[in-house]
Amino acid sequence: MLQTPPVHLEAASTLAVVVSSIEPLLFLSDDLKVIAASASFCRAFEIDPASVPGMRLSDLGAGEWAMPKLESLLSATASGSANIEAYEIDLKRPGKKTRQLVLNARTLDDGDLEHIRLLLAIADVTDARAEARLKDDLIRDKAILLQEVQHRVANSLQIIASVLMQSARRVQSDEARGHLHNAHHRVMSIAALQQQLSRSLGGTVELRAYFTQLSRSLGASMIADPERLSIKVAVDDSVVDADVSVSLGLIVTELVINALKHAFPDKGIGKIAIDYRSSGGDWTLSVADNGIGMPAGNDAPKAGLGTGIVEALVKNLDGKIELSDAGPGTVVTISHRDTTDLENDLSSAV
Amino acid sequence: MKNGKPVVLVVEDSPMIRMGAVDLVLSAGYEALEAGDADEAIRILQSRADIDLVFTDVQMPGTMDGIKLSHYIRDRWPPVKLIVASGAAIIEESMLPGGSRFFSKPYDELTITEAMAQLLSHQHPHFPIS
Repeated sequence: MLQTPPVHLEAASTLAVVVSSIEPLLFLSDDLKVIAASASFCRAFEIDPASVPGMRLSDLGAGEWAMPKLESLLSATASGSANIEAYEIDLKRPGKKTRQLVLNARTLDDGDLEHIRLLLAIADVTDARAEARLKDDLIRDKAILLQEVQHRVANSLQIIASVLMQSARRVQSDEARGHLHNAHHRVMSIAALQQQLSRSLGGTVELRAYFTQLSRSLGASMIADPERLSIKVAVDDSVVDADVSVSLGLIVTELVINALKHAFPDKGIGKIAIDYRSSGGDWTLSVADNGIGMPAGNDAPKAGLGTGIVEALVKNLDGKIELSDAGPGTVVTISHRDTTDLENDLSSAV
Repeated sequence: MKNGKPVVLVVEDSPMIRMGAVDLVLSAGYEALEAGDADEAIRILQSRADIDLVFTDVQMPGTMDGIKLSHYIRDRWPPVKLIVASGAAIIEESMLPGGSRFFSKPYDELTITEAMAQLLSHQHPHFPIS
Protein backbone atom coordinates (compact mmCIF):
# COMPACT_ATOMS: atom_id res chain seq x y z
CA MET A 1 0.00 0.00 0.00
CA LEU A 2 1.31 3.38 -0.90
CA GLN A 3 1.85 5.94 1.79
CA THR A 4 0.78 9.49 1.16
CA PRO A 5 4.03 11.36 0.54
CA PRO A 6 4.76 14.21 2.96
CA VAL A 7 3.30 17.39 1.63
CA HIS A 8 6.22 19.39 2.83
CA LEU A 9 9.82 18.34 2.32
CA GLU A 10 12.33 19.38 4.98
CA ALA A 11 15.75 20.62 4.02
CA ALA A 12 18.28 17.80 4.21
CA SER A 13 20.53 19.95 6.38
CA THR A 14 17.76 20.48 8.96
CA LEU A 15 17.17 16.76 9.17
CA ALA A 16 20.90 16.08 9.42
CA VAL A 17 21.23 18.56 12.31
CA VAL A 18 18.36 16.88 14.16
CA VAL A 19 19.65 13.35 13.62
CA SER A 20 23.16 14.20 14.77
CA SER A 21 22.09 16.17 17.87
CA ILE A 22 24.01 15.01 20.92
CA GLU A 23 21.08 15.78 23.15
CA PRO A 24 18.04 13.55 22.50
CA LEU A 25 15.89 15.59 20.11
CA LEU A 26 12.60 15.09 18.25
CA PHE A 27 11.52 17.09 15.26
CA LEU A 28 7.72 17.08 15.07
CA SER A 29 5.01 18.36 12.78
CA ASP A 30 2.19 20.39 14.32
CA ASP A 31 -0.04 17.30 14.29
CA LEU A 32 2.63 15.61 16.42
CA LYS A 33 4.07 13.27 13.87
CA VAL A 34 7.79 12.61 14.07
CA ILE A 35 9.64 14.09 11.11
CA ALA A 36 13.01 13.08 12.46
CA ALA A 37 14.56 11.83 15.68
CA SER A 38 18.16 12.19 16.76
CA ALA A 39 20.25 9.05 16.92
CA SER A 40 20.84 9.93 20.57
CA PHE A 41 17.07 9.84 21.21
CA CYS A 42 16.67 6.44 19.56
CA ARG A 43 19.61 5.06 21.54
CA ALA A 44 18.53 6.48 24.88
CA PHE A 45 14.90 5.37 24.62
CA GLU A 46 15.44 2.20 22.60
CA ILE A 47 13.51 3.18 19.50
CA ASP A 48 14.30 1.70 16.09
CA PRO A 49 15.51 4.69 14.01
CA ALA A 50 14.09 3.22 10.81
CA SER A 51 10.58 3.12 12.26
CA VAL A 52 10.55 6.76 13.29
CA PRO A 53 9.86 9.06 10.31
CA GLY A 54 6.18 9.76 9.82
CA MET A 55 5.13 7.96 12.95
CA ARG A 56 2.85 9.64 15.45
CA LEU A 57 4.59 10.56 18.72
CA SER A 58 2.01 8.50 20.60
CA ASP A 59 2.92 5.40 18.57
CA LEU A 60 6.67 5.52 19.23
CA GLY A 61 8.08 2.42 20.90
CA ALA A 62 5.32 0.56 22.70
CA GLY A 63 3.19 3.68 23.00
CA GLU A 64 4.96 5.00 26.11
CA TRP A 65 5.15 8.51 24.60
CA ALA A 66 1.37 8.71 24.42
CA MET A 67 1.01 11.07 27.34
CA PRO A 68 -2.07 13.30 27.14
CA LYS A 69 -0.35 16.05 29.15
CA LEU A 70 2.63 16.06 26.80
CA GLU A 71 0.44 16.09 23.71
CA SER A 72 -1.63 18.95 25.04
CA LEU A 73 1.49 20.96 25.86
CA LEU A 74 3.05 20.29 22.47
CA SER A 75 -0.14 21.28 20.65
CA ALA A 76 -0.30 24.47 22.69
CA THR A 77 3.34 25.17 21.84
CA ALA A 78 2.62 24.60 18.15
CA SER A 79 -0.29 27.03 18.27
CA GLY A 80 1.87 29.55 20.10
CA SER A 81 -0.25 29.65 23.27
CA ALA A 82 2.25 27.94 25.59
CA ASN A 83 5.88 27.11 25.99
CA ILE A 84 7.45 23.96 27.30
CA GLU A 85 10.39 25.00 29.36
CA ALA A 86 12.06 22.54 31.68
CA TYR A 87 8.83 20.59 31.95
CA GLU A 88 9.27 17.49 34.07
CA ILE A 89 7.55 14.28 33.16
CA ASP A 90 7.93 10.58 33.98
CA LEU A 91 8.44 8.15 31.14
CA LYS A 92 6.89 4.82 32.08
CA ARG A 93 7.74 1.74 30.09
CA PRO A 94 6.55 -1.78 30.92
CA GLY A 95 9.29 -3.87 32.49
CA LYS A 96 11.65 -0.89 32.77
CA LYS A 97 12.39 1.65 35.43
CA THR A 98 10.52 4.92 35.19
CA ARG A 99 12.78 7.66 33.80
CA GLN A 100 12.55 11.26 34.92
CA LEU A 101 12.65 13.55 31.89
CA VAL A 102 13.06 17.28 31.53
CA LEU A 103 11.49 18.57 28.31
CA ASN A 104 12.03 21.75 26.36
CA ALA A 105 10.06 22.47 23.20
CA ARG A 106 9.82 25.34 20.79
CA THR A 107 8.65 25.93 17.28
CA LEU A 108 11.24 25.94 14.53
CA ASP A 109 11.73 29.50 13.45
CA ASP A 110 12.79 29.17 9.79
CA GLY A 111 10.41 31.76 8.36
CA ASP A 112 8.03 29.12 7.00
CA LEU A 113 4.73 30.13 8.64
CA GLU A 114 2.74 27.63 6.58
CA HIS A 115 4.34 24.66 8.25
CA ILE A 116 4.66 24.83 11.99
CA ARG A 117 7.18 22.31 13.26
CA LEU A 118 8.41 21.63 16.77
CA LEU A 119 11.75 20.83 18.28
CA LEU A 120 11.43 18.77 21.43
CA ALA A 121 14.60 18.26 23.51
CA ILE A 122 14.45 15.45 26.02
CA ALA A 123 16.96 15.28 28.85
CA ASP A 124 16.97 12.15 31.01
CA VAL A 125 17.78 13.40 34.51
CA THR A 126 17.03 10.15 36.35
CA ASP A 127 20.66 9.37 37.17
CA ALA A 128 21.59 12.97 37.95
CA ARG A 129 18.60 13.24 40.30
CA ALA A 130 19.48 9.96 41.99
CA GLU A 131 23.03 11.17 42.47
CA ALA A 132 21.87 14.48 43.87
CA ARG A 133 19.55 12.64 46.23
CA LEU A 134 22.34 10.32 47.33
CA LYS A 135 24.57 13.31 47.95
CA ASP A 136 21.86 15.04 49.99
CA ASP A 137 21.37 11.85 52.00
CA LEU A 138 25.10 11.59 52.64
CA ILE A 139 25.33 15.20 53.72
CA ARG A 140 22.37 14.71 56.04
CA ASP A 141 23.83 11.49 57.45
CA LYS A 142 27.13 13.23 58.04
CA ALA A 143 25.44 16.11 59.86
CA ILE A 144 23.49 13.68 62.04
CA LEU A 145 26.62 11.67 62.78
CA LEU A 146 28.54 14.82 63.65
CA GLN A 147 25.76 15.96 65.98
CA GLU A 148 25.76 12.55 67.61
CA VAL A 149 29.52 12.68 68.12
CA GLN A 150 29.35 16.22 69.53
CA HIS A 151 26.57 15.12 71.84
CA ARG A 152 28.64 12.21 73.09
CA VAL A 153 31.70 14.40 73.60
CA ALA A 154 29.60 16.89 75.58
CA ASN A 155 28.20 14.09 77.73
CA SER A 156 31.64 12.61 78.34
CA LEU A 157 33.00 16.01 79.36
CA GLN A 158 29.98 16.41 81.64
CA ILE A 159 30.79 13.09 83.33
CA ILE A 160 34.41 14.15 83.87
CA ALA A 161 33.37 17.60 85.14
CA SER A 162 30.75 16.07 87.48
CA VAL A 163 33.18 13.55 88.94
CA LEU A 164 35.82 16.25 89.54
CA MET A 165 33.30 18.52 91.26
CA GLN A 166 31.97 15.68 93.41
CA SER A 167 35.53 14.87 94.48
CA ALA A 168 36.22 18.55 95.15
CA ARG A 169 33.19 18.74 97.45
CA ARG A 170 34.30 15.68 99.39
CA VAL A 171 38.03 16.22 99.98
CA GLN A 172 39.09 17.73 103.29
CA SER A 173 42.31 19.43 102.20
CA ASP A 174 42.11 22.89 100.69
CA GLU A 175 45.11 22.16 98.51
CA ALA A 176 43.60 19.00 97.06
CA ARG A 177 40.33 20.85 96.49
CA GLY A 178 42.22 23.59 94.65
CA HIS A 179 43.83 21.03 92.38
CA LEU A 180 40.49 19.38 91.64
CA HIS A 181 38.94 22.75 90.86
CA ASN A 182 41.80 23.54 88.49
CA ALA A 183 41.37 20.20 86.77
CA HIS A 184 37.68 21.08 86.43
CA HIS A 185 38.56 24.46 84.86
CA ARG A 186 40.82 22.74 82.34
CA VAL A 187 38.04 20.35 81.36
CA MET A 188 35.59 23.25 81.04
CA SER A 189 38.12 25.11 78.89
CA ILE A 190 38.18 22.21 76.45
CA ALA A 191 34.39 21.99 76.67
CA ALA A 192 34.05 25.66 75.70
CA LEU A 193 36.18 24.94 72.65
CA GLN A 194 34.05 21.92 71.83
CA GLN A 195 30.93 24.10 71.94
CA GLN A 196 32.54 26.66 69.63
CA LEU A 197 33.59 23.91 67.24
CA SER A 198 30.10 22.44 67.17
CA ARG A 199 28.81 25.82 65.97
CA SER A 200 31.53 26.37 63.39
CA LEU A 201 32.12 24.89 59.98
CA GLY A 202 35.32 23.30 58.83
CA GLY A 203 37.07 22.85 62.17
CA THR A 204 38.03 26.47 62.73
CA VAL A 205 37.30 28.56 65.79
CA GLU A 206 36.48 32.22 66.14
CA LEU A 207 38.73 33.24 68.96
CA ARG A 208 36.68 36.18 70.22
CA ALA A 209 33.59 34.03 70.85
CA TYR A 210 35.71 31.25 72.33
CA PHE A 211 37.68 33.44 74.72
CA THR A 212 34.50 35.26 75.74
CA GLN A 213 32.81 31.99 76.61
CA LEU A 214 35.95 30.80 78.35
CA SER A 215 36.21 33.90 80.51
CA ARG A 216 32.51 33.69 81.34
CA SER A 217 32.90 30.08 82.41
CA LEU A 218 36.01 30.80 84.48
CA GLY A 219 34.36 33.85 86.02
CA ALA A 220 31.20 31.91 86.85
CA SER A 221 33.10 29.28 88.77
CA MET A 222 35.94 31.32 90.28
CA ILE A 223 34.66 34.82 90.91
CA ALA A 224 32.43 35.01 93.95
CA ASP A 225 31.83 38.75 93.62
CA PRO A 226 31.59 39.94 90.00
CA GLU A 227 31.40 43.51 91.26
CA ARG A 228 34.93 43.16 92.58
CA LEU A 229 36.72 41.04 89.98
CA SER A 230 36.10 41.11 86.26
CA ILE A 231 37.57 39.58 83.12
CA LYS A 232 37.66 41.62 79.93
CA VAL A 233 38.21 40.10 76.50
CA ALA A 234 39.63 42.05 73.55
CA VAL A 235 40.24 39.86 70.53
CA ASP A 236 40.41 40.80 66.85
CA ASP A 237 38.56 38.84 64.13
CA SER A 238 41.08 35.99 64.20
CA VAL A 239 39.90 32.55 63.22
CA VAL A 240 42.27 29.68 63.98
CA ASP A 241 42.44 25.92 63.51
CA ALA A 242 40.92 23.75 66.20
CA ASP A 243 44.23 22.33 67.41
CA VAL A 244 45.81 25.78 67.76
CA SER A 245 42.74 27.09 69.56
CA VAL A 246 42.77 24.27 72.11
CA SER A 247 46.34 25.28 73.07
CA LEU A 248 45.49 28.99 73.19
CA GLY A 249 42.39 28.25 75.27
CA LEU A 250 44.32 26.18 77.79
CA ILE A 251 47.03 28.88 78.03
CA VAL A 252 44.36 31.53 78.71
CA THR A 253 42.71 29.23 81.26
CA GLU A 254 45.96 28.70 83.17
CA LEU A 255 46.93 32.38 83.12
CA VAL A 256 43.49 33.52 84.24
CA ILE A 257 43.32 30.91 87.02
CA ASN A 258 46.77 32.04 88.12
CA ALA A 259 45.84 35.72 88.14
CA LEU A 260 42.57 35.09 89.99
CA LYS A 261 44.38 33.01 92.59
CA HIS A 262 47.43 35.14 93.24
CA ALA A 263 47.05 38.69 91.96
CA PHE A 264 44.25 39.86 94.24
CA PRO A 265 44.81 38.69 97.81
CA ASP A 266 43.20 41.78 99.30
CA LYS A 267 39.59 42.72 98.78
CA GLY A 268 40.20 45.49 96.26
CA ILE A 269 38.72 45.80 92.82
CA GLY A 270 40.61 43.82 90.21
CA LYS A 271 40.61 43.45 86.48
CA ILE A 272 41.98 40.80 84.17
CA ALA A 273 42.35 41.59 80.49
CA ILE A 274 42.71 38.94 77.79
CA ASP A 275 44.01 40.36 74.53
CA TYR A 276 44.75 38.60 71.25
CA ARG A 277 45.66 40.03 67.89
CA SER A 278 47.22 38.64 64.77
CA SER A 279 48.72 39.92 61.58
CA GLY A 280 49.53 37.45 58.83
CA GLY A 281 51.14 34.47 60.55
CA ASP A 282 52.21 36.54 63.57
CA TRP A 283 50.14 36.69 66.71
CA THR A 284 50.31 38.02 70.24
CA LEU A 285 48.31 36.83 73.21
CA SER A 286 48.44 38.61 76.51
CA VAL A 287 46.78 38.17 79.86
CA ALA A 288 47.18 41.16 82.13
CA ASP A 289 46.01 41.86 85.66
CA ASN A 290 46.16 44.96 87.83
CA GLY A 291 46.92 43.02 90.99
CA ILE A 292 49.89 42.93 93.34
CA GLY A 293 52.49 41.88 90.77
CA MET A 294 54.67 38.79 90.79
CA PRO A 295 57.12 38.26 93.59
CA ALA A 296 60.64 37.76 92.25
CA GLY A 297 63.82 36.10 93.49
CA ASN A 298 63.50 33.98 96.60
CA ASP A 299 59.87 35.00 97.05
CA ALA A 300 58.95 33.68 93.63
CA PRO A 301 56.47 30.84 93.95
CA LYS A 302 57.49 27.36 92.91
CA ALA A 303 56.39 26.65 89.36
CA GLY A 304 53.25 24.52 89.45
CA LEU A 305 51.44 22.36 86.96
CA GLY A 306 49.86 25.45 85.41
CA THR A 307 53.25 26.92 84.54
CA GLY A 308 54.33 23.59 83.10
CA ILE A 309 51.21 23.42 80.92
CA VAL A 310 51.68 26.97 79.65
CA GLU A 311 55.38 26.43 78.86
CA ALA A 312 54.73 23.19 77.01
CA LEU A 313 51.87 24.64 74.96
CA VAL A 314 53.75 27.84 74.09
CA LYS A 315 56.75 25.79 72.97
CA ASN A 316 54.46 23.66 70.84
CA LEU A 317 52.99 26.78 69.24
CA ASP A 318 56.50 28.00 68.52
CA GLY A 319 55.99 31.08 70.66
CA LYS A 320 57.84 32.85 73.41
CA ILE A 321 56.67 33.92 76.84
CA GLU A 322 57.45 37.28 78.33
CA LEU A 323 56.58 38.28 81.85
CA SER A 324 56.51 41.96 82.64
CA ASP A 325 55.43 44.43 85.24
CA ALA A 326 52.19 46.14 84.27
CA GLY A 327 52.51 48.67 87.11
CA PRO A 328 50.30 47.77 88.85
CA GLY A 329 50.03 44.08 88.19
CA THR A 330 51.53 41.62 85.80
CA VAL A 331 51.24 41.04 82.11
CA VAL A 332 52.12 37.73 80.50
CA THR A 333 52.67 38.07 76.76
CA ILE A 334 52.98 35.15 74.41
CA SER A 335 54.06 35.98 70.92
CA HIS A 336 54.67 34.03 67.77
CA ARG A 337 56.54 35.24 64.73
CA ASP A 338 55.85 33.43 61.51
CA THR A 339 59.08 32.02 60.10
CA THR A 340 57.57 29.62 57.56
CA ASP A 341 59.09 31.47 54.61
CA LEU A 342 62.47 31.56 56.30
CA GLU A 343 62.34 27.84 57.04
CA ASN A 344 61.36 27.09 53.47
CA ASP A 345 64.32 29.11 52.25
CA LEU A 346 66.64 27.22 54.58
CA SER A 347 65.32 23.81 53.64
CA SER A 348 65.55 24.54 49.95
CA ALA A 349 69.14 25.67 50.45
CA VAL A 350 70.13 22.33 52.04
CA MET B 1 8.95 21.96 99.64
CA LYS B 2 9.81 19.36 102.22
CA ASN B 3 10.65 20.48 105.75
CA GLY B 4 11.20 23.97 104.42
CA LYS B 5 13.65 22.80 101.75
CA PRO B 6 12.87 23.07 98.05
CA VAL B 7 12.63 19.69 96.33
CA VAL B 8 14.47 19.20 93.02
CA LEU B 9 13.88 16.22 90.73
CA VAL B 10 16.89 15.30 88.59
CA VAL B 11 16.03 13.48 85.33
CA GLU B 12 19.09 12.05 83.59
CA ASP B 13 19.76 8.68 82.00
CA SER B 14 23.53 8.65 82.48
CA PRO B 15 24.11 7.38 86.04
CA MET B 16 27.42 9.23 86.44
CA ILE B 17 25.96 12.57 85.39
CA ARG B 18 22.84 11.91 87.49
CA MET B 19 25.02 11.23 90.53
CA GLY B 20 26.87 14.49 89.96
CA ALA B 21 23.64 16.43 89.50
CA VAL B 22 22.10 14.97 92.67
CA ASP B 23 25.27 15.85 94.56
CA LEU B 24 25.08 19.37 93.15
CA VAL B 25 21.45 19.74 94.29
CA LEU B 26 22.25 18.44 97.77
CA SER B 27 25.27 20.70 98.13
CA ALA B 28 23.08 23.66 97.19
CA GLY B 29 20.92 22.77 100.20
CA TYR B 30 17.91 21.28 98.44
CA GLU B 31 16.18 17.91 98.66
CA ALA B 32 17.05 15.73 95.66
CA LEU B 33 14.99 13.12 93.87
CA GLU B 34 16.16 11.24 90.81
CA ALA B 35 14.71 9.61 87.71
CA GLY B 36 16.42 7.82 84.82
CA ASP B 37 13.90 8.86 82.16
CA ALA B 38 10.79 10.93 81.55
CA ASP B 39 8.35 8.13 82.39
CA GLU B 40 9.92 7.61 85.79
CA ALA B 41 9.94 11.37 86.33
CA ILE B 42 6.21 11.56 85.62
CA ARG B 43 5.50 8.67 88.01
CA ILE B 44 7.41 10.52 90.74
CA LEU B 45 5.62 13.81 89.98
CA GLN B 46 2.26 11.98 90.18
CA SER B 47 3.16 10.36 93.50
CA ARG B 48 4.03 13.53 95.42
CA ALA B 49 3.03 17.16 95.40
CA ASP B 50 6.14 18.75 96.90
CA ILE B 51 8.42 18.98 93.85
CA ASP B 52 9.46 22.57 93.14
CA LEU B 53 11.89 22.18 90.26
CA VAL B 54 12.78 19.60 87.61
CA PHE B 55 16.33 19.56 86.25
CA THR B 56 16.28 17.39 83.13
CA ASP B 57 18.51 16.09 80.38
CA VAL B 58 17.16 16.18 76.81
CA GLN B 59 18.20 12.99 75.02
CA MET B 60 16.86 10.06 77.03
CA PRO B 61 15.41 6.65 76.25
CA GLY B 62 11.68 6.19 76.78
CA THR B 63 8.54 7.75 75.41
CA MET B 64 9.57 11.39 75.89
CA ASP B 65 12.73 13.39 75.63
CA GLY B 66 13.51 16.24 78.02
CA ILE B 67 11.87 18.86 75.80
CA LYS B 68 8.58 16.95 75.58
CA LEU B 69 8.83 16.25 79.29
CA SER B 70 9.26 19.93 80.10
CA HIS B 71 6.16 20.83 78.08
CA TYR B 72 4.23 17.98 79.69
CA ILE B 73 5.21 19.17 83.16
CA ARG B 74 4.35 22.80 82.40
CA ASP B 75 0.95 21.62 81.18
CA ARG B 76 0.19 19.17 83.98
CA TRP B 77 2.01 20.80 86.93
CA PRO B 78 2.28 24.47 85.99
CA PRO B 79 4.01 25.71 89.16
CA VAL B 80 7.00 23.37 88.77
CA LYS B 81 10.11 25.25 87.60
CA LEU B 82 12.22 23.78 84.81
CA ILE B 83 15.91 23.63 83.94
CA VAL B 84 16.95 21.73 80.84
CA ALA B 85 20.51 20.71 79.94
CA SER B 86 21.74 19.03 76.80
CA GLY B 87 24.90 18.14 74.95
CA ALA B 88 23.25 19.13 71.68
CA ALA B 89 24.16 22.67 70.76
CA ILE B 90 21.10 23.23 68.57
CA ILE B 91 18.54 23.59 71.34
CA GLU B 92 17.34 27.05 72.26
CA GLU B 93 15.31 28.33 75.18
CA SER B 94 12.55 29.22 72.72
CA MET B 95 11.86 25.52 72.21
CA LEU B 96 11.04 25.17 75.91
CA PRO B 97 8.07 26.30 77.97
CA GLY B 98 8.24 29.98 78.89
CA GLY B 99 10.32 30.78 81.93
CA SER B 100 12.39 27.62 81.80
CA ARG B 101 16.15 27.78 81.50
CA PHE B 102 18.45 25.95 79.12
CA PHE B 103 22.15 25.16 79.56
CA SER B 104 24.60 23.36 77.31
CA LYS B 105 26.52 20.41 78.62
CA PRO B 106 28.97 20.35 80.18
CA TYR B 107 27.31 22.92 82.42
CA ASP B 108 29.09 24.92 85.02
CA GLU B 109 27.74 23.85 88.39
CA LEU B 110 27.66 27.35 89.84
CA THR B 111 25.61 28.53 86.86
CA ILE B 112 23.09 25.75 87.51
CA THR B 113 22.83 26.41 91.25
CA GLU B 114 22.40 30.12 90.57
CA ALA B 115 19.64 29.40 88.06
CA MET B 116 17.96 27.10 90.58
CA ALA B 117 18.16 29.72 93.33
CA GLN B 118 16.78 32.35 91.00
CA LEU B 119 13.87 30.19 89.79
CA LEU B 120 13.05 29.03 93.31
CA SER B 121 13.11 32.55 94.71
CA HIS B 122 10.09 33.48 92.61
CA GLN B 123 7.16 33.43 94.98
CA HIS B 124 4.60 33.42 92.25
CA PRO B 125 4.52 31.68 88.92
CA HIS B 126 5.72 33.94 86.11
CA PHE B 127 3.14 32.64 83.70
CA PRO B 128 -0.62 32.99 83.67
CA ILE B 129 -2.57 30.03 85.00
CA SER B 130 -5.39 29.36 82.60
